[in-house]
Parts: sequence; structure tokens; C-alpha cells
Amino acid sequence: MFKPQEMTRTLIIGAKQDLEKTIELLHTLEVVHIIDFKPSDADEPLHLGVPTKKASGVSQSLVKIRSSVQMLALEREKQTISEKISEEQIQRDVALKIQDMELSVLSLTETKTRIEEHFRKIDERIRQLQPFVAMDIPLEDYQGYDHVTVFTGYVRDLKKLTDHLPKITDDYEFFTSEADDQMIALFIIKKYAEDAGKLLNECGFTEVKLPEGTGIPKQFIEKWVAQKQELSMKLLQTTKDMLEFRKRYAEFILASEEYLTIQVQKAEAPVLFGTTEHSFLIDCWIPKHEKNHVLETLEKDMQGALYIQEIEPKHDDEPPTLLKNPRPVRRFEYLLELYSLPNYRDIDPSFILSLIFPLFFGLMIGDIGYGILLILFGVLFMKLFKDSEGFSNIGWYIIIAGVFSSIFGLFLFGDMFGLPFLPPPGGTGEAAYSWSTLLGVHIPIPSVIHKMESLGMTQLLVISIIVGYLHLGLGLLLGIIVERKHNWKHAVTKIGLLFVLTALALLIFVMADWTIGQWLKPLKGSAVAPFLWGAFIPLVKSGFSFGGLIVPYVTMVLAILGIVIIGIVAGGFGLVEVLEVTSHLMSYTRLAAICVAKAAMAFAFNMIGLGLILSGNIIIGILGVILLIFMQLMVFALGALSSGIQAVRLHYVEFFMKFYKGEGLRFNPFGYKRKYTTTE
Amino acid sequence: MAAETGIIAIGAGIAIGSAALATAWAQKTIGAAAVGAAAENEKMFGKGLIYMVLPETIVLFGLVIAFLLWTKM
Repeated sequence: MFKPQEMTRTLIIGAKQDLEKTIELLHTLEVVHIIDFKPSDADEPLHLGVPTKKASGVSQSLVKIRSSVQMLALEREKQTISEKISEEQIQRDVALKIQDMELSVLSLTETKTRIEEHFRKIDERIRQLQPFVAMDIPLEDYQGYDHVTVFTGYVRDLKKLTDHLPKITDDYEFFTSEADDQMIALFIIKKYAEDAGKLLNECGFTEVKLPEGTGIPKQFIEKWVAQKQELSMKLLQTTKDMLEFRKRYAEFILASEEYLTIQVQKAEAPVLFGTTEHSFLIDCWIPKHEKNHVLETLEKDMQGALYIQEIEPKHDDEPPTLLKNPRPVRRFEYLLELYSLPNYRDIDPSFILSLIFPLFFGLMIGDIGYGILLILFGVLFMKLFKDSEGFSNIGWYIIIAGVFSSIFGLFLFGDMFGLPFLPPPGGTGEAAYSWSTLLGVHIPIPSVIHKMESLGMTQLLVISIIVGYLHLGLGLLLGIIVERKHNWKHAVTKIGLLFVLTALALLIFVMADWTIGQWLKPLKGSAVAPFLWGAFIPLVKSGFSFGGLIVPYVTMVLAILGIVIIGIVAGGFGLVEVLEVTSHLMSYTRLAAICVAKAAMAFAFNMIGLGLILSGNIIIGILGVILLIFMQLMVFALGALSSGIQAVRLHYVEFFMKFYKGEGLRFNPFGYKRKYTTTE
Repeated sequence: MAAETGIIAIGAGIAIGSAALATAWAQKTIGAAAVGAAAENEKMFGKGLIYMVLPETIVLFGLVIAFLLWTKM
């Protein structure tokens, strides 16, 4: 649970005639991670393998199938399959059926493209001719003159044109379209054309080219529109045919695509192997618990034809990572991988993440009302996105965070939607709102910590620091465990950091001795009391005064010890880590900060909303209810978002930096997850 | 006494306010770069988020100082 699956490195060597059978076996086993063979001078007789003879044939068929998928616009995710098709059956009809299908798909697509092309051409012609429709002049009349120049196009300033044209000459004909008064056709004697052109330019003229052909434009357009209608009927029919075809063939296409993908995968597998003229070598990682099963199967099915040897992993080997966690924890692997997949030598923090992440998330929200909303929201999220692994996992995190939030809201903060169940002591007026006073029923759920009071805030800050100390301390301990084998200097530095961290935490606890004293009170008279008050507390508290601040001797000793250890082992540079650990500890105060900020926001909105509702006026009351619901949803959304992100951050930055390296290589077994086909 | 309390309150406000501005300023640049990186390569999301939230510690320092001042009011 705390380590990725252990792997063993294994060499499988055999004669070439057994190659295909071996590949077949490994593919069905689906537990072998093959290491890509890279030829080097040291492996002189070995060279890279080549795909088997089948490869090019199946690849071609696969290309054909995939092009059909594309042409039919088949969406793989949306297709469901009634029954898995047996591989034998596919193998029997795949060649013939693909040929059949290819022809039909091609002819259908061709028809469709032809119609669409035709459609586009007509559209283009209509577009070109449209400006000339309103002028009602046959197209042939615009051209073919020896002494007349014709301008056709749009004019921005028509008035200027009509005013100035007579100044050039009277020998012209001028048409404007009635419908669109900026379109003009100007027929003018050639020798005045240059002057007319200048004038037109001044009037903002844009030429419209005359379309080819003869006849009255309007008649053309009518004809074309009719043609278009006919074409769209045909297009509809073809599209229908295609849909029908797609429906009929979808299952076959998906199944044969899968079948062929598997065939290609097997045929091209030798590229991953090293080969000589007559033999092959497979270098691979096998999870330790699967090793015996794999070896037995290979031994039995190949009748001892293979030579299999387990080899000692080298120091710089990078085994692939396969995480092993119980089901509820497995969902948190996603959150971990969002940061980085653990490498083989890392500790797998999924389990810790699955406990502490929702705890932080819930603590920051800490309200039973929002907690229940979170649970509902999470369930909805999982339902809506059940096909997306990532989003459904996030839904799961939200649900668990909601549970924690409700627990904190019920037992620690005693509030619902930012409103306490019992009126806060000393609160007057609007500050004294509570569920008990509003509903007129005494709800005996006390607030152990009042978020909105100075005392509560202090308590929350101290809790944050305690939580931070434990979390960081755990991180450092894990770091020491990981590093003790690989780099003793790092491990010792982390021990030094642990001393410094403890010193810092103690210093803060002594500063907050009154708050902590209140919490320890119930222990008075118990078995540990003599030790606590007799020895431990006086020891921790005894110190010297420094500018009004009491610095305990224990703190001094621990801090100096830690810094000296780090200085000796890691040098001056290691001292930067002392500053880092200080800022990381302070970083946990965000737990208190967000908790209080969210509560303050809800408190303010409640005061506004409840003020309106209790005003006595019905209309204002209704408005108040709507406003309050809206504002509460806003608090919920903002609170959930910031709490979630901050809880993630405390893990990614503060916690993981102490021990986690990541950048693992994913365990990728040779095989295929079948969805549409079966070998049975 | 009232004037003193007022000055302490203003001090607390400046502490948290300026720290928040500093954080925002730092996050603006980092955030833009992180989103750019994540858009090119989804694997950068985790790293981007880390860089993005690093400056948040600054505002927490401001918060702690503001709180310490507040308790003196």
C-alpha cells in the first residue's frame, strides 16, 4: 500500500521459430512490461528485431477501417455494442467485409462530395449574380461595345456621382437598382471613361465583376434556386443512406478495428526485442507476485523451448511503477498523478492523501450545511461525468470532503450555512442570530470554537500550526525513510530539519500557552497530569525573555542542534532549507485563514439577508430569501473552490517536497484491453 | 486610547492589504505562464499549480502580523 508493486527484471530468450507463439502468450498474459531494446556496441551480435510478415497486410486493413471511421464520422465513445464478437468470426470475414464496405463507403462519400460541390458552385453563382438582379438588364447587354465602357459596382456616395457626372459628359446611361440603391451600372463613351473612373473612385466605388453568361439575371436565379432544392433533397437522401450504413456496420467496424489493432500490436512487437539471425531476446519487467504464474505458463505452453533468466536490477535501472491500493484509495491515485506518478523507489502517498486531503478540505469549510451540499454536489458530479475518470474522481473527493465538513460543522463549529445553532455568548442585535432563536426551538449543538471571535481565531491558528507540525513532521519522517538507503546526507539533513521544525512549533505553542492550557485542563487529575504539570510543561516553558517574548531553552537547544547538523552535513546551502521549513509551517495558517474568511463572508450575507427577511414587509422578505439563497450559493462555490485548491496545495508543495520525487514510468503491460471482441 | 486603537487597526489593514497585493502581483505573472505551459503539455498542470500557489505564503505572513496586531487592540 505504501510502495509501488515490486518488479523483477527478466530475460526471455528463444529460437526465432517460437517467436510468434511467445508473443501470443505474452499478449494474453498482459502482465509483462517490455523494455525497448536499444542496440549498442556492447550487444554486438544483437540487433533490432523486424516486424513479422503479417505486419504490412494487417496495417493496411487497419488503415482502411480507420479511414471508413473517418468518412462515416463514427464516434467511438458514443457507440455501444450489443455483444462482444468472437475473434474467430472476425478473422473469417474481415478481409471480404472490409472490401465490400470500402466500396460502399467510397461510393457514398463520393456522391455526397459531388452533390456538395455542385451545391457550392450554384451558391457561388447566385452570390455573383445577386447584385444584377434588381437592374433587370440582360447580361449580354453589359458587354461587347466598341465605343462604350461599362462600370458595374457599388458606390458609397451616390449623390456626388449624380451631381458631378453631367459635368464630364451628357453621353451616358446610368442605372441604379431600386432595391439596393448603391449598386450602379454606368454606360459611358470610351473617351470619357478615364475621367468617369476618377470620379467613381472619389465616390467610393467598388467594382463588381460581371458574371459569365447571357440572359436576364432574375430568370437564372429562379432556375438555380429550383436546382438547389432538388440537390438538397438528394443530399438528404445520401446522408440518410450513410447513417443507415453506419448503423449497420458500426459494430463490425469497431470490433474489426480492435481486432486489427491487436494484430498490428503483435506483428510489430519484435521491434521491441533484440534479435540475432536465429534467436530473439525479450528484456522485461514482471510484477513480483505475477512472476511465478508467468514463468509457469511460459514453461508449460512452450514446452521448455524458452530460456528464462531473472537478472539482478542495476543501480540506474528504472523499473516501471504499478500502484497497489485498496479500491477507495485508488481514486486518490489520480490526484497524486496530477502532480506526478511516483517513481519506483518513492513511497506511494495515495493512502495518506486519501485521509488528510479530505480532512483539510473539510476543516476549512467546517459547516454542516455546506457539508451536505458538498455531498450532494459530489454525487451529482459523479453521475454527470461517469464516463470521465478524472471528473468522477474529483466528485468522489468532494463527497468525502463533505462528510468531513459535516463532522467538523456538527461537533466542532456547531454551525449550518454560517449560522451557529446556539446564539454566540455576548452577541447582541444581528450578531446574535442563530438557528435556535430563528426557529424558536432550542437546538443543543454547541459551538466548541466560534470562528467569528478573537478567541476562536486564536484557537484555529494554534490548531493550524499543530496540524502543520504533524503533517510536515510526517513528511520529514517519510523523507528520512526514503533517503536513508540512497543518500545518507539528505537523510541526516532531514533529521536536522525535524529538530528545527520541533523548535519552531514549541516556540509558537509557548506563545499560545493560554489557549493550549485551556485544552489541557480536562487532563488535570488524570494519570499523565503529574508528568505534564510536574515535568514537561515547566521544562518547555523555562526560558529567557527576549524583547518581551519568552524563548524557551528547549527551543534554543533544538534549533541550534538542528542548524549545526544541517550546517555540517549540507553546508551553508542547507541552511536555506531552515528558512523553507519555517515558511512551510506558517503556510498551514491558511487552514485557519480560509475557515474564518469563509465564515465571515457567510456571516455578513446572513446579516443582510436575514435583516431583509425579518423586516416585516412581505415583498422585501421574498426578495431577501432570493438574495440570501444566491449569496449562500456564492459562499459555497467560493469556499469549496478555495478550500479544495488550498488542500491540494498543502500536499503538493509543503508535504510532497519533504519526501516525494515522482516522475515515475507507468507500468504498461504488453496486451490490450478488449472492449468489442473476445477470444472465447 | 481610541486613537491608538485606530492606528493599530490601520496598521493591521496595511499589513494584510499590502501582502495581498504583493501575492497578487507575483501570481499574475506565474499564473499566466503556468496556464500557457499546461495548455501545451497537460503534464505540467501539477507543477504549474505548485508554482502558481507559492506566493500565497506572502499573504499569510501579512495575515499573521495583522492578527497579532488585532489581539493588541
